[in-house]
Amino acid sequence: MTRYLLRRVPSAVAVLWLASVLVFLVLRAVPGDAASALAGPDATPDVVAAIRHDLGLDLPVAEQYARWVGGLLSADLGRSYLVGGDIADLVADGLANTLTLTLAALLLAVLVALVLGPLWAVSRGGWLDRALTAFHTAAVALPTFATGVLLILVFGVVFRLLPTGGVPPGGLLDRVDITAQYLLMPAVCLALPVSAVLTGFLAETLRAELRQDYVLTALAAGVSRRSVVFGHTLRNALPVTMTALGLQTGALLGGAVLVESIFAWPGLGLLVEQGITRRDYPVVQVLLMLSVAVFVVIQLLTDVAHAWLDPRVRLGGAR
Amino acid sequence: MNSPLRRRAVLRGVAATALLLATAACQSAVDAQSGGAGSTPKQGGVAEVGVNVDLVPGNVLTNSNVSITTVVGLVYEPLIRYGKDDLKPQPALATEWTAAPDGTSLTLELRRGVKFHTGRPFTSEDVKFSLQTYADPKWNGQLRSTATAITAIETPSPTEVTLRLAHPVSNLFDLLDTAPILDSETAADIGTGKRFVGTGPFKFDQWRPNTDLTFSRNPDYWGGPAHLDGVHVRVIPDGQSLLSALKSGQVQLARGVGYRDAESVANTPGVTVKPLDRGAELQAYVGINVSVPGLDDPRVRQAIGFALDRERIIKKVFRGAGYPTSLPWPKGSPAFDAARNGHFTHDPAKAQALLAEHGQPVPIVPLTYVGTDNVAASVAQIVQNDLSRVGITVELRPVDSTQFVKQLIGAQFPGLWTTTHSWAQFTPSTLAVSAYPFNARRNASHFTADTYTAAADEAWQVPVGGDTPAAYAELSKQLLDGSFLTEIGVVFEQLVLRDALHDVDYTRRRELDLGKAYLS
Repeated sequence: MTRYLLRRVPSAVAVLWLASVLVFLVLRAVPGDAASALAGPDATPDVVAAIRHDLGLDLPVAEQYARWVGGLLSADLGRSYLVGGDIADLVADGLANTLTLTLAALLLAVLVALVLGPLWAVSRGGWLDRALTAFHTAAVALPTFATGVLLILVFGVVFRLLPTGGVPPGGLLDRVDITAQYLLMPAVCLALPVSAVLTGFLAETLRAELRQDYVLTALAAGVSRRSVVFGHTLRNALPVTMTALGLQTGALLGGAVLVESIFAWPGLGLLVEQGITRRDYPVVQVLLMLSVAVFVVIQLLTDVAHAWLDPRVRLGGAR
Repeated sequence: MNSPLRRRAVLRGVAATALLLATAACQSAVDAQSGGAGSTPKQGGVAEVGVNVDLVPGNVLTNSNVSITTVVGLVYEPLIRYGKDDLKPQPALATEWTAAPDGTSLTLELRRGVKFHTGRPFTSEDVKFSLQTYADPKWNGQLRSTATAITAIETPSPTEVTLRLAHPVSNLFDLLDTAPILDSETAADIGTGKRFVGTGPFKFDQWRPNTDLTFSRNPDYWGGPAHLDGVHVRVIPDGQSLLSALKSGQVQLARGVGYRDAESVANTPGVTVKPLDRGAELQAYVGINVSVPGLDDPRVRQAIGFALDRERIIKKVFRGAGYPTSLPWPKGSPAFDAARNGHFTHDPAKAQALLAEHGQPVPIVPLTYVGTDNVAASVAQIVQNDLSRVGITVELRPVDSTQFVKQLIGAQFPGLWTTTHSWAQFTPSTLAVSAYPFNARRNASHFTADTYTAAADEAWQVPVGGDTPAAYAELSKQLLDGSFLTEIGVVFEQLVLRDALHDVDYTRRRELDLGKAYLS
């Protein structure tokens, strides 16, 4: 196992190094630079030069890269050009907000699927079937920006029931009831397409289960339909739905970028968008490297687990 | 008796009651934001402000976005303040001043009893520190050329300061109106956005990047405490979301609302649109790179001036929030001359005649603009249409804002560009020495002319407060003759307000002044 790790870890490190070089160079190939963005339209060239010097952008590219990587290796993520603060703080705040939003959306999506999926599975041909089909089609087809604007108009502007956006002034942990109201619309907006996909998936799996012989036997033995659905078929349908849920979690994280923008929810999506638009290289570099690192580490752990479970992988590699 | 059905019904009832009680116990986040409604003025309350861009702490000495002008307006104060309708300095942190007859020095008497938000007394050393900081290129103060003309700052006593100048500087008061007085002890924290300490009516409490800024009333403010308990500024980048927050009453003041959106929301009951039309004007313009073949002939550049339908652009794009102009000066400027201002009328025939005098076909001209800016995109399309009618083919080149600024600062535009500029509402010489597009020695147009440089210097190097109408007239003439940029019109930023927020004011740099504001 140790020999396997000694072989596998260097390749992961090589991927990370290559990614760091690519991220660093690609960002610098984008036209426009941070000093110009910071200087503004009335700046004279000497002002831009002073800002460039202050940010270290006048150093040779190799030196800039070495400084950045050196910082990363010593757990110093650097400072944002625009915000001026530590990137670690920015990323931590953004990550907490994005995870809160994504988790809330995930819970909503699962809740909706668990309620509507079985209902849809047992209501073939009726008005409920038609209504749920319409919900499924609309929720999957409607783009997030449209549902977001619609929700804001209805619940924020017309009925004035919920805040139109932002996070609570006192922070997410200050008042749970206030936070829930801020979270509700963005979470619903983000959860809607995922909940529709999960509902459809669960309903279809349940229908397949309901055609199994054991269901007919149970019904013939006098077990109620509700007990059969919730006591037996749902349990059997859940593992397959869990696999779909795993895939949809990625979609949730991706969708969060747009939802954060619509609802002014200060997560990683907004951070990346502003970082790219305004050439805040250090922030974008860290966020990109973070996503690469997460992927590489998960891949590494998966491979290690695979090798641990299956000796052929270890030995195959050794041959 | 104790059937499952009955037990279930009881449980459902208990659950429903608990849910109802929990809901009733929850405070509405909407009420918490809007602070309730009423009709009579009151002391206290927190004003909710929405802005479409976040703060950039490193730019705090510029007036480059609405978050910065909001922070500076609430927290900081300058030495003097211009009125909205003229350039007569009024006391702020300086109460009196005396200029040397030859214009090479200015002595200011400072207000006594003023304290920074930390409680430390304000002294002449803070003036020295603030003006020196403003002159440091890394802070990109837009009047830096004026600040660097100050050769020495003497502080004979805590309440007196003398500025020694390299030469007479006509726009010295512009600098004193613009440069915020900083607390030297905490100024190092400005760049990271941790602390902004000034002497203004509101104290800075906190900035959460991409989220909000909070301010509370300064109880020791020398001008008397503000009515408001505080100000909460929310960053809402999406235009529609900003508008929705305003319509729902969750923000009482929105900055950065587009012209079309402001026009549409103006009809909403309880909403008013306040143009910053007195002393805080902006100018929309088309810049011209005079080193490009075709555009190097002043007749072609003047033809562009006559080809543009300025009325249409102001009406259709800026929705009437401005007026057409041929020169940068707004109506309140001492350089404003109605005859010269109307020099470029919409006259395609005259434009074609000038192009005929040029005698050669003008090559295809690229027009660069910020593609994500709907206003700039609309202006660019109308300019393209107007120029095509007189025989100039324009190729539109949308770029992102950072790329645009880089090309502007680096004078890299391959033909025309369109954007807005400022500073024409100050002493006219400020425009020629501080606003980069007009800088006589180096500008984005690659335009140099000894006569223009001489006119700019003539207007600048006169004693502060000196009346130089002849110099301004010459400056205007040079701008029209050179036509290295073509003004479209004077345009106004607009504040969109709920009726619950009263007495909102602003400065010449479009800084938000809520010192006298109150909620009803």
